[in-house]
Amino acid sequence: MRRSDLGEFEEIVLLAVAALAPGAYSVSIAEELENETGQTISTGAVHAALQRLEQKGYLSSYLGEATQERGGRRKRLFTVTAYGGKILHDARSVRNSLWNRITPAELSKMGLDFSNS
Amino acid sequence: MQPLPPRWLDKLATRICAPHLREELLGDLQERYALRYQKFGQQKAKLFYLKEVAALLRPSVIKRKSPEYPSIPFLSFEMIRNYFKIGSRVLLKNKGYSFIHLTGLSIGLWACMMVATVVIDSLSYDRKWSHANDVYRIISMNKAGAGLQERISSSPQLLAPELVKIYPEAVASSELSTTTRHFKFKKEDFNGVATQVLRADTSAWRIIDLKVLAGNPRDFVPGTNNLLISKSFADRFFPGQDPIGKIIQDIPKYGTKANDYQITGLIADLPYNSHLRADVVLLHINKPEPYEANGFITFSQNYIRMKPGTDMQAFTAKVNKWHQKFSKRTDEHGFEFQPMPDIYLHSDFAESQNVRGDARTIYIFSGIALLLLFIACVNFVNLSTAKAFARLKEAGVRRILSGSRSQLIIQLLTETLLLFGTAAIVATFLYFFSLKSVEQFLGHRLIETFTSNVPMAVDALAVVLLTALLTGLYPAWLISGFKPSNTLRGIFTSSASFRQNWLRKGLVVVQFSVSIVVLLATIVVWKQLNLMENKDLGYNTNNLLAIDNVSWDGKGDAFKGELLQIPGVVRASATLWVPTQGGGYMQREIEDPANSKQRIKVWYIAGDVDLPETMGLKLVKGRMFSHQFSTDALNADSLQKVSFEKFEQAQILQSSLLTASAAKALGVSKLDERIKNANTVPVGIIENFNNESLYEPIKPTIILAQRSPQYAGMLVRTQPGMEQRVSASIEKLWKQFYPAKLLEINNIEELLDKQYEAETRLHQLFMFFSGLTMFLSVLGIFGLVVQAAEQRSKEVGIRKVLGASVTGIVTMLSGDFVKLVVIAIVIASPLAWFGLDKWLQNYPYRTDIRWWMYVATGSTVLIITMLTVSFQAIRAALVDPVKSLRNE
Repeated sequence: MRRSDLGEFEEIVLLAVAALAPGAYSVSIAEELENETGQTISTGAVHAALQRLEQKGYLSSYLGEATQERGGRRKRLFTVTAYGGKILHDARSVRNSLWNRITPAELSKMGLDFSNS
Repeated sequence: MQPLPPRWLDKLATRICAPHLREELLGDLQERYALRYQKFGQQKAKLFYLKEVAALLRPSVIKRKSPEYPSIPFLSFEMIRNYFKIGSRVLLKNKGYSFIHLTGLSIGLWACMMVATVVIDSLSYDRKWSHANDVYRIISMNKAGAGLQERISSSPQLLAPELVKIYPEAVASSELSTTTRHFKFKKEDFNGVATQVLRADTSAWRIIDLKVLAGNPRDFVPGTNNLLISKSFADRFFPGQDPIGKIIQDIPKYGTKANDYQITGLIADLPYNSHLRADVVLLHINKPEPYEANGFITFSQNYIRMKPGTDMQAFTAKVNKWHQKFSKRTDEHGFEFQPMPDIYLHSDFAESQNVRGDARTIYIFSGIALLLLFIACVNFVNLSTAKAFARLKEAGVRRILSGSRSQLIIQLLTETLLLFGTAAIVATFLYFFSLKSVEQFLGHRLIETFTSNVPMAVDALAVVLLTALLTGLYPAWLISGFKPSNTLRGIFTSSASFRQNWLRKGLVVVQFSVSIVVLLATIVVWKQLNLMENKDLGYNTNNLLAIDNVSWDGKGDAFKGELLQIPGVVRASATLWVPTQGGGYMQREIEDPANSKQRIKVWYIAGDVDLPETMGLKLVKGRMFSHQFSTDALNADSLQKVSFEKFEQAQILQSSLLTASAAKALGVSKLDERIKNANTVPVGIIENFNNESLYEPIKPTIILAQRSPQYAGMLVRTQPGMEQRVSASIEKLWKQFYPAKLLEINNIEELLDKQYEAETRLHQLFMFFSGLTMFLSVLGIFGLVVQAAEQRSKEVGIRKVLGASVTGIVTMLSGDFVKLVVIAIVIASPLAWFGLDKWLQNYPYRTDIRWWMYVATGSTVLIITMLTVSFQAIRAALVDPVKSLRNE
């Protein structure tokens, strides 16, 4: 259970790459996250996270084709590596198992008891 | 249209972003900008963009990728050796350029060193005394006349001791002055050895440093002259002997018998770089007497030593206030305190001080030396930038083979350094060998030189290194700045070459402007000198000899009688005043007859009855003095002996001659009538004449006659060309009359010329410097033409093949430079006019700046430039086009 090297923002970015594949690059990810969270997310932040994830081996990248709205510059497209997928999966299972251990009484206390509705 | 983010932000982002991330990141930014533009409009998109750029400031974005192959640290020993090796090879390969550079820089550096030596030496005067910073010379001021302020370097003799008594902050005082005495070591010696003597009183020990080597000079021996001789004087005249206690004699001017001087001490040599320069010290004792502010006061050069840290401004005010109260006089008179280190350079008012420099000349020449070095450096920059194109290929190859830009800059700077270093060595040699002649030219020794003073040499080296760095930086920056990919393909960004072309032209204009200003200055100084030397002074200055003031011992008339028998002597006159000699017999302030509140200054000149005619003064009205009238000449000496009042009474009715300006100032219309204000009866009016140097305007003067004055000089008018023979005869006659008395004969014309020594020297130096600046400027332009011709050799070849004439090509190659010189002339002329006009304001009789001087300088410079330029241009134009085009 080594989760310490995957920050929360990194996890979200990693998830977004998985969700947006094969068209995952910083602009699409940032726009997607902005839509999902309702917060402004800077390209630089996303780019930094992507760089880190790639260094850790969770992502791999290649340069895509140039488009006109980028002023003729190419974009870097990302895909999740198998290792990255495993880490994501690990993270998810940790969360799931913890969710599952919450008793229904506790859930209702939190106002999150959905079973009766 | 694709919406684009603001450009400046884009540029900023490019700067921030590491090169290897630029493409993707900047693409992202632009894409998001476009998206936001559609969503929120331009305003908001811009704001977002700004935030995005700000957010780029994070390590992951900023951090540059490390190069794949680490380069050798460019300041390692190996690399430094490499820089020097390659640098020297480059310099040896381009011998022509190196030579031009070297000549220019050597001359520039040499001139700078030379002038710096003179400046540093001048500034070193009187700074080494242990109390230098606390010693002051007391200067008397006199605010006489309308706005005139007179300053003299002496003050009442007893004032300084009085100040020491009154004010606790004044520690000590002494009387110090320098004179020349003629000492003799053998009885029959007639001329003696002219020796610089420092006259000092016994408290001198507390003011200046006198290091005693032998004897007890502090114990004053009464009844004789106490003489302290310096080590070098002792070595010269008493080699291997103990001089203490010996007695030597002088050849006096006034007494009949030689005076005895007992040597009471041997002291270390006095510093040469002091205004108190002397070979020996003559000690005397001051009698303690109370100070009186009125009546007859003896004036002398007084020095006062203050407690360290005294506020001199407050002290000066205090002293002047006290003195006004004490002397019950108005504020016309006052005292100033001149700091010891200032005395040498800032004493233009002290005519009797024979060791003095001129601050103004020092400023002018430091300026010119700096300009010379500047011109040399400009040459360097110009030639190097012109040469830049030739070196671009090398630069490109170096850069592509992963040499960094800084490495290239260091390589180029090393070359500069090598050149400057060699130039410095050459300049030092020149300097060393020219020191002697410069000293001869200046007329005094130079104490602080670069070859004798190690700290000074180190400083000079530092300055040379710094100059090299500053000069080399621009060309290095320029050459290394071109993109390697472009230089190798032979593409130069036009803006860069335009810029450096522009700079080069600008520098050439500056250079030539400087040369033209200096050249104009040379002409104007020469004209001024000419004017002063040739101006009609109002009397006949030719064939006039002057015997210096002596005491005649009652034999004056007899001597004059014998003198008139000498063949070649036309006239002679005993005189109390010799032409060029300051104010003359005396000065008086007389009430202005037109305005009783104002006072006018009148100068008096006295001699015997023959004085006006011996001098060749021209009569306007009335008559000259004559032996027929007994009232014409006063027997001043015998009257003064009886009583002063009798002398004054006799003076009231004495006849006098007035100069035209004196007559005008005193409002004299009728002759032979007593003027009350001036106490005299004018018998004639003569034309104005200059009784001093031409630094002073004509002064209202009254001439009085005396019968055989006791202390006087003698003016002798000879037949033209007989001066030499007559002075030889006078010497013979003198030996008969005064076997032990000193005789000094001067030629008036020489004395007059000597007054303008400063101008003569200024002129010679200007000639020298204008030659140098011109030479350096021309050298620079020569290099540029060589470069231009080389660069355009193919163009010239093609033009020739297509039928261009040699003249056409020469005009093409030289036209640019001639234009620049013309611009320089236009710029320099008003500047020179402004400066020179200011300089001329110093002279009451000044030459004017004429149009022909501009024409002369302008055409000289133009002709020299054209000759230089066309010499090279013709060579370029005559080259066989086959040669220049073959290697294509």
